[in-house]
Amino acid sequence: MKRQLIAAVAALALGATTAACGSASTNSGSDGDSDTIKIALIPPTSGALAQFGTDAVKGWKTAARIANDNGGIDGKKVELIIKGTDADPATTLRVAKEAVTKDGAQFIGAVMTSPEHAALNAQLEGLGALSFNSLGKDDALVGEQCSKYGFHIVQTSSMDINGLADNINELPGEKWAIMAVDYATGHSAAKKFKAAAEAAGKDVVMEQFAPLNTTDFGSYITKLKDSGADAVFAVEYGADGVAFVQQADQFNLDDQLKTVLGFNMVSEPLFETLGDSIAGYYNNVGYDVDADNALNQEFVKAYTEDNGSAPYYVPADNYLAAETLFAGIEEAGSTDPAEVADALQDLSLDSITGEVTLRGADNQLLRDSYLGEVVKADGGLKFKILSDANPDVTTPEPDSACKK
Amino acid sequence: MNAAQVLNGLALGSLLMVLSSGLAMIYGLRGVANFAHGALYMSGAYIAYSVSDRMGFGLAIIVVPLALAVIGVVLELAFFRPLQHRSHIELGLITFGLALIAERLVILIWGEKTLRVRPPEFLQGTSTIFGVEYPSYRLAIIVIALVMAAALILWLRLSNVGLHIRAASQDIETAAIMGINVDKVSLIVVSLGSALAGLAGTLAAPYIALDPGMGNAFLITVLIVVVVGGIGSIAGAMIAGMGLGLIQTLSTVWSPSFAVLVPYLALTIVLLWRPTGLAGKRIS
Repeated sequence: MKRQLIAAVAALALGATTAACGSASTNSGSDGDSDTIKIALIPPTSGALAQFGTDAVKGWKTAARIANDNGGIDGKKVELIIKGTDADPATTLRVAKEAVTKDGAQFIGAVMTSPEHAALNAQLEGLGALSFNSLGKDDALVGEQCSKYGFHIVQTSSMDINGLADNINELPGEKWAIMAVDYATGHSAAKKFKAAAEAAGKDVVMEQFAPLNTTDFGSYITKLKDSGADAVFAVEYGADGVAFVQQADQFNLDDQLKTVLGFNMVSEPLFETLGDSIAGYYNNVGYDVDADNALNQEFVKAYTEDNGSAPYYVPADNYLAAETLFAGIEEAGSTDPAEVADALQDLSLDSITGEVTLRGADNQLLRDSYLGEVVKADGGLKFKILSDANPDVTTPEPDSACKK
Repeated sequence: MNAAQVLNGLALGSLLMVLSSGLAMIYGLRGVANFAHGALYMSGAYIAYSVSDRMGFGLAIIVVPLALAVIGVVLELAFFRPLQHRSHIELGLITFGLALIAERLVILIWGEKTLRVRPPEFLQGTSTIFGVEYPSYRLAIIVIALVMAAALILWLRLSNVGLHIRAASQDIETAAIMGINVDKVSLIVVSLGSALAGLAGTLAAPYIALDPGMGNAFLITVLIVVVVGGIGSIAGAMIAGMGLGLIQTLSTVWSPSFAVLVPYLALTIVLLWRPTGLAGKRIS
C-alpha cells in the first residue's frame, strides 16, 4: 500500500513537472488568394489563462464585425475560425495545422504564450500562414525565434521594462528592492531594472526571486521589510501576483513603501479582486483606453457595445493585430499570406494606439509604452497614464540573431 | 533568522497539518490514496469565498466544513463503500477523475479568474508577538490549527468512536469480527476527513490566492506529508506537516530555489531512515 502511495506521489510530481514537446509539420495548406479572409483564433480555453483567451477572441470579433459592417477588407469578408488549446505548444501546433489544412485559414491570432509562439514561428513558413502575436512578450520571438511569417504586435519585455526604466527618476523612493518570479522574464526584468535604477542614482538594497506558483510569500515579504527598502519593483504574474499583493497587505508592507512598481503585475481584470489596496501602485501599461484618437474611440465604443465593458490591453492588442493584418491585406491587394507578409514590411498605419510601424528587420510593431498609476474612479479602479515612452526610447535595435 | 520567519513556518505548517490530517485519516482506514483531497480543499476555499461574501468569514469557518462533510458522506456512500473490494489503484484513479470533475465545476460556477477573500476585520493588519509585528490572521491560523489538532487527538484517544476508528485503522476485518460497525466508522472518518479539507480551504482562502489549480499545488506536498508522517498516522501527519512547513519556510529564507526541493528531499531521507515514516501505522 505504501509503495502504491509513493508511486502515486512520484507519478503526480512527474506529471506536474513534465513539459510537453512540440511537433513538427511541413504541410502547406494555404491556397493563395481567396474571397474570404479566414483567421484562425487559437486561444487557451482552460487553465489560468482561459479568461485572457476569451477576451482575446472578443477583440478579434469586434474587429471582424466592424470590418464586415463596412463592406469587408479590400472587398473581402472576414471570417473567424475559433479554435481552442490548453496553451501547450504541441496542442497549439496541432490545432493550427488543422485550421490551416482543413479549414483553409490563412492567418492565425489569439495564441497566448511565448512558448506557443516559438513553436508556431518555426512552422509558419511550412504551413503557409501568417501569425499575429498580441500576447507573447519574450524577446527571443523577435530574435533567434523570429519568422518571416510571424508578426509581433505586442511590446516585448524589453520594450516594457525600458519604458519603466525611462521613468524611474519620477518615482518616489531611494532604496529599492526587487521581488521577481524565478524564471527568464523575472531575471531579465530585474537585471534591466537594476541597471536603470543604479544609473538614476537609486540604491538597490536587495533582489529575490520566488519560484513560479509560489503561494506563500510570507518569508519573502519579511525579508523585504527587514531590508529597509522604501520602494519595490515587483515582477509577479497571475495568481502569484494576487497572493503577493494580498499578503503584502496583511503584513502592512505598504506602510513602509513609497512606491510599488509592478511589471505586468496588476492589470484591469485583477482590479476587482485586488481591491483598493493597490490604489497608488504603479505598473507598465500596454494600452491606454482613454487615448484621444478617433480610431481608439470607435473601438472602445464598439467593444463596449459588444461586451458591456470597456476593453483592456488583451482585447485591445488583439484588435490592433487585426488592424495590422487588415492594413497588410489592403496594401497587398490580396489575401495570399506571402504577399501580405511582403506588404507588411516597414508598413506604417494609423491604429488605436496612434501611428505605428511594423519594423521589417524583425517584424516588431513599433508602438508606445506607458507608465500608469492605479487610481480610484467611478466606484472602482483604473489606470491613470502618467507618461508615454515612444518606441525610439523603448525598442532595442533588431536582434542580429533574427534570420528571416 | 528572526521570529517572524519562524512564525511564517508555523503558519504554513499549520495549514499543512489541517489538510494532511484529513487525508491521513481516510488513507489509514480506507487505504485509498484520495487524490480528490486537493479538490475538496480547493472547493472548500471557493465555497468559503461565497459564504464569507454573503454572510461573513466567521460563518464560513463553520458552514464550509459542514458542507464538505456532506460531500464526504456522498464520497463514502457512492464510491468508497461500493468499490471497497476493487484495487486501491482503481479507486485512486476514480478519485483522480473526481478531482478533475470538481475543478471543472468550480470553473463553471466561479469562473477562471483568480479570487481573493479578506480576513474578518478584527484579524486584518498586524499584532505584536515576540517583539515583532506579524499578520493577525496568520496567528489565528496557527491557534486554530493547534486547537484542532489537540481536539482531534483527544477525541481519538478518549472517545468510543475514536477507539473504534483506531481499531479499524489497525485491521478493518478484525475490527468488524470484534463487532465494530466499520461502515459507520468509515462514514465518520471520510466525512470528518473531508470536513478537515474544507476547514483547510477556508483557512487558506484569505491566506493565498484562489485559483482552480490551488488544490493540485498542495496535493503533492500533502501526500508527501502523509508518507513522511507514517501511513495512516494522524499524529505523524500533523508532526510532519508542521515540520515540513517550518523547514520549507526557513530554507526559503536561505535559498528559494532549493526550498522547492525540500518536500522531495524530506520524503527520500525519511523513507531511507524510517521506511514506515515518522510514526508508522498508528491512528493517533
